[in-house]
Amino acid sequence: MADEYRDDDQLEDEEEIDETGYKTVKDAILFAIEINESMLTPSPSADSKTKGEESPASAALKCAYHLMQQRIISNPHDMMGVLLYGTQASKFYDEEETSRGDLSYPHCYLFTDLDVPSAHEVKELRGLADDEGEARNVLVPSKEPVSMANVLFCANQIFTSKAPNFLSRRLFIVTDNDNPHGENKALRSAAAVRARDLYDLGVSIELFPISHPDHEFDHARFYDDIIYRASPTDPDAPSYQLADSKASTATGDGIALLKTLLSSIHSRSVARRAYFSNMPLELGPDFRISVSGYHLFRRQQPARSGYVWLEGEHPQMAQGETTAIADDTARTVEKWEIKKAYKFGGDQVIFTPEELKSLRDFGDPVIRIIGFKPLSALPFWANVKHPFFIYPSEADYVGSTRVFAALHRKLLRDRKAALVWFIPRKASGPVLGALMAGPEKVDEYGVQKLPPGMWIIPLPFADDVRQNPETRLTVAPEPLIDKMRYVVQQLQLPKAIYDPSRYPNPSLQWHYRILQALALDEDLPEKPEDKTIPKYRQIDKRAGFYVLSWAEELEKQYAAAGGTAAQTTLVKRSAKDRDAETGDSASQPAKKPKVEDGSSGVEADIRSHYEKNTLSKLTVPILKDFLHSHGRSTAGKKADLVERVEEYYERK
Amino acid sequence: MADKEATVYIVDVGSSMGERHQGRSVTDLEWGMQYVWDRITATVATGRKTANLGVLGLRTDDTSNELSDDVHFSHISVLSNIKQFLMSDLRKLGDDIKPSTTDKGDAISAIILAIQMIITHCKKLKYKRKIVLITNGRGRMNSENLEDITKKIKEDNIELVILGTDFDDSEYGVKEEDKDPRKAENESMLRSLAEDCDGVCGTLDQAVSELEIPRVKSVRVMANFKGFLQLGDSEEYDSAVRIPVERYYRTYAAKPPSASSFVLRSGLGSQQDQPESHTTAAASSDTLGVDESSLTSVRPLRTYHVADEDAPGKKVDIERENLAKGYEYGRTAVHISETDENITILETFAGMDLLGFIQSDQYERYMHMSTSNIIIAQRANDKADLALSSFIHSLFELECYAVARLVLKENKPPILVLLAPSIEPDFECLLEVQLPFAEDYRAYRFPPLDKVVTVSGKVVTQHRNLPNDDLLDAMDKYVDSMELVDVDEDGEPVETFPIDDSYSPVIHRIDAAIRSRAIKPHEPIPAPSKQLLKFSEPPENLVEKSQNHLNKLVEIADVKKVPPKIKGRKRTRETEKPLSGLDVDALLHQEKRTKITPNNAIPEFKQILAQAEDLDTIREAAKQLTTIIESQIRHSLGDANYDRVNEGLGMMRDELISYEEPTLYNEFIQQLKEKLLKEELGGDRRELWWLLRKNKLGLIDQRESDQSKVTSAEAKDFLSAN
Repeated sequence: MADEYRDDDQLEDEEEIDETGYKTVKDAILFAIEINESMLTPSPSADSKTKGEESPASAALKCAYHLMQQRIISNPHDMMGVLLYGTQASKFYDEEETSRGDLSYPHCYLFTDLDVPSAHEVKELRGLADDEGEARNVLVPSKEPVSMANVLFCANQIFTSKAPNFLSRRLFIVTDNDNPHGENKALRSAAAVRARDLYDLGVSIELFPISHPDHEFDHARFYDDIIYRASPTDPDAPSYQLADSKASTATGDGIALLKTLLSSIHSRSVARRAYFSNMPLELGPDFRISVSGYHLFRRQQPARSGYVWLEGEHPQMAQGETTAIADDTARTVEKWEIKKAYKFGGDQVIFTPEELKSLRDFGDPVIRIIGFKPLSALPFWANVKHPFFIYPSEADYVGSTRVFAALHRKLLRDRKAALVWFIPRKASGPVLGALMAGPEKVDEYGVQKLPPGMWIIPLPFADDVRQNPETRLTVAPEPLIDKMRYVVQQLQLPKAIYDPSRYPNPSLQWHYRILQALALDEDLPEKPEDKTIPKYRQIDKRAGFYVLSWAEELEKQYAAAGGTAAQTTLVKRSAKDRDAETGDSASQPAKKPKVEDGSSGVEADIRSHYEKNTLSKLTVPILKDFLHSHGRSTAGKKADLVERVEEYYERK
Repeated sequence: MADKEATVYIVDVGSSMGERHQGRSVTDLEWGMQYVWDRITATVATGRKTANLGVLGLRTDDTSNELSDDVHFSHISVLSNIKQFLMSDLRKLGDDIKPSTTDKGDAISAIILAIQMIITHCKKLKYKRKIVLITNGRGRMNSENLEDITKKIKEDNIELVILGTDFDDSEYGVKEEDKDPRKAENESMLRSLAEDCDGVCGTLDQAVSELEIPRVKSVRVMANFKGFLQLGDSEEYDSAVRIPVERYYRTYAAKPPSASSFVLRSGLGSQQDQPESHTTAAASSDTLGVDESSLTSVRPLRTYHVADEDAPGKKVDIERENLAKGYEYGRTAVHISETDENITILETFAGMDLLGFIQSDQYERYMHMSTSNIIIAQRANDKADLALSSFIHSLFELECYAVARLVLKENKPPILVLLAPSIEPDFECLLEVQLPFAEDYRAYRFPPLDKVVTVSGKVVTQHRNLPNDDLLDAMDKYVDSMELVDVDEDGEPVETFPIDDSYSPVIHRIDAAIRSRAIKPHEPIPAPSKQLLKFSEPPENLVEKSQNHLNKLVEIADVKKVPPKIKGRKRTRETEKPLSGLDVDALLHQEKRTKITPNNAIPEFKQILAQAEDLDTIREAAKQLTTIIESQIRHSLGDANYDRVNEGLGMMRDELISYEEPTLYNEFIQQLKEKLLKEELGGDRRELWWLLRKNKLGLIDQRESDQSKVTSAEAKDFLSAN
């Protein structure tokens, strides 16, 4: 049941793959945050309700801190580091400022080394962002200017030594200084050359410029010499997107700055990794273009538990390794020796590995359009898993983008979808999918929320469709529907849309929140922040009146239709059914639709048993009904049930 | 539990069954057996002990049945009594079924025997009883006492199925010309017998052709959640509502059977012969050279180790017992003692809580994350029915979906689900799918498809990456001409995607392969059936109809395939300029980088190659780089520098391919391999060689570069040899 969510994962042997062959599919982000007077000057929030001030530097550090926490959850094997530049102090691996005067990288302070973050580093960075303790000594601007060439080469060395052979390496520069070297040609050239080194190394630079009310950040003055049009590793990736410059609002509002910066950084937090690259999209016989596919929506799971070795200096994760052994002699078995067999008729039916592979082989990977249908022909329920996103690539077929764009526009305008025969990977087995177009959506800061492109929705096969249970149809009469309509109208979500970004996964967040507290030896948080819990007070305030009036109508209609119908099913009814029934009526002075005659009696009864400490006198079915109706587990022996009922009352 | 089953197959093996008719390539017996094998193997595949079957041979040379003394029952043999069929039974049956040399034997008597077998086996217990008769109807049949037979069959509730080769069937459209008069007589007698006892008499042609349609396993309908659909907090507010509901799967991904792993038993010299699979052994030895008795299963063994700088090999093995449970937080290991095991689990209570409502036209269909479920009111609860129905109808009328938080069981993680109303003439429910959380969306960004933003921020609407009006028009017409109009059995157009007749190709292909191999171990795996490939190509008539529009589209689109060799090659240096267009190459030239510095090797190597004017420069750069790489290996503590070496080699390989100097790389990698294996670069470096092999950093062959003299075979050999 809840495991259906895990199952999904096993279905797919789907990790993103490296198409270039020899690189490690990992991402490394190095934040380079400039420290100068203006970066450290707090600007008060324009909104008088939100108190507090925020300097650009602390906003940047908070963003880095958020990103670090987020990446521990979403990219547990990817690296991150924080480099401050323009600081009075310098720090680079074993060099300390106190050592001789000839530092390699003066005024570069490697605050968090590029690595998979440790709990300790998370804490340090939080301290710096909150400007606590030692942080004050670090966040002091240098009196002399820092050489950008030096900063860039410092980053180069960090990437070269700490993240060699990574598929994706990115330098995030956060600064408000659009012209660090003025007209000094030598320094400018040196910086341009070092930027080119980074480009040739495969590091892309992403700029997060900060404007001030009196000064709009101007890329043309310096940064256009530093930043390249295309990403060195992902030629299809949009380079530096100018749309983002909107994000650097020059309102001078510190909190707003933090928000826009967060939104902008969040949108680039994950390195783009293709699930498949340059796949043929076949529009008709012999007419192909190439596309790349991505998993933009995919269930994020907490990492599984592992084994820790506690006898070392620090607790250490043990790495597991699985080898196959033969059952008879326990000798280690090589992969080529293994034969595959299926159970059949009490015996084994044997296949060679090649044969087994060929059973799943339905040809080379392809997305082949079989024909088109109106989008409305795709039933709501026809779904088995998350979608695939596809976007054109020019690598195999020049002209793919314009053809894709034409198809995109046509499908979007006429609300059509294509039926596709889709083989995501060799030997992964074909899938039938509905190919639909999605328009681009941007948020209030002009940052892209959903990209333009097409989505493949895998369809269920006949084998995957379950039958409906048998029921007797009862249709509610109009007056009752009318009353419910008022309720629904009262409780629209903001903008009447579902926006995933408003709902972090509460159990995932709680899991890592607890781990963080344990890792840092901090007090455990008491209450989780759970945005998926309905706003009960608002529901009562906005819809309470309408709900009661609906409940009254329900009672009326039930009584009208009821009598006979109820009798026919009476036999099978237990106490539970009666308790559980909805609605209540005006018949009770308290107007409580949640419970009614029978149930309030049972509830009161159980309560009095609880108070008298005689719960064990109740029968197991009654205890179970009670627990079930309060969403509690009904597993275990009677003593467990009693305990759980007690727990229920103790919490109240 | 499924019902117990007892089926008797009566197979006519008379000598006339060995003939071929109507231009078929198989004999009537082989043809009939296609049907029988399919049915029997389907039963065997269930692995159910209670799915039993027996087989009677009709018109056999011998006679072997309990009434064999009676001359009416001669030439009928019990090939198998009613029991659970196993592989050995299949194999035995395969040997037994062959055309006899006689045409004597009465089908009606065989039916009587079959009834007798069922009565003996099932007694008065609850069984699904069935008799299947396959015959060409050419034998002599005794039509006496048919009423008694009919009575008995009806009494015992036995389903009778008679399938005849070339039996006439006007509905299916089969009529045998010049039919033998006796066969015609038999046919009509069998038909009326079948009709009288509510059975079926059909033509084999139809039965065999229907085998093509894969059978979908039906799964018992069971609720996966029973609880409350709640609006508001009933513990706090008087205005809260709770509707008791049940949740059922609507879609659930069916999975193919999974194979298990085996290896040859050790010390196989002395064959342990296991009698029960003896026939299997003989049968499968052709295909695989082994039999099951010589196999032993493979199980996984998990071992653990931790990194240790001081240990040889930099790691120490640790026993499972000496390890505690825990999680990773970044690179920090967090230990959780057994008593705290549930500490990271969010406390939740079962229920389906409504968050609010959204407009259905504002929802992006591709946000569906999961299989779907249906929600109905608690059964036999009329008030809940009424309440839920009013909810469903109000959503429908307002064109709304509901968003709810669902917890299936106490302390299970909450999921957000979308609820949509579904109203059919005889069924109402809520449809439910899971929605993504914030963490489930990865914000990869992509440029717009309807405009191009230039570096200077200018928005361009005419560009080679954007479709012009002609292309849009051609696409418009092509898409319209490719509209799929499916019709159902009655010829009515179907307005949904074809889900009902699309079958999982993998599941049914594996299923067919297992069954085929079980009965014909010597034969190769059959090709996938046509039905499985039904949607692998656009329908022919559609292709034909849209051909002109496609031609037009292809012409206007002017898409050009990139020749494979050029793909990896640098196409222009244009993209390698910064946004400002600054000529960094010129600046680099001023710097005169000729000596590659070890700590900036990759960029400098690339830059030298880019500026090289003669081969010597490239050769010199390659030489410098190889020295740097070798030094990195030599000074690597354990595997510390291996990733850097990998990166350097990979980059060098790619660059030398694009500069068409594969030989420089090939010479180097050959020397390097030798040095690694001879331990000349700081000791045992086999692990590095293994890594290079894994990353395919071997010789550049002719496929990768025209200039290479290395064949693919040589390149493969180079990597595989140790």
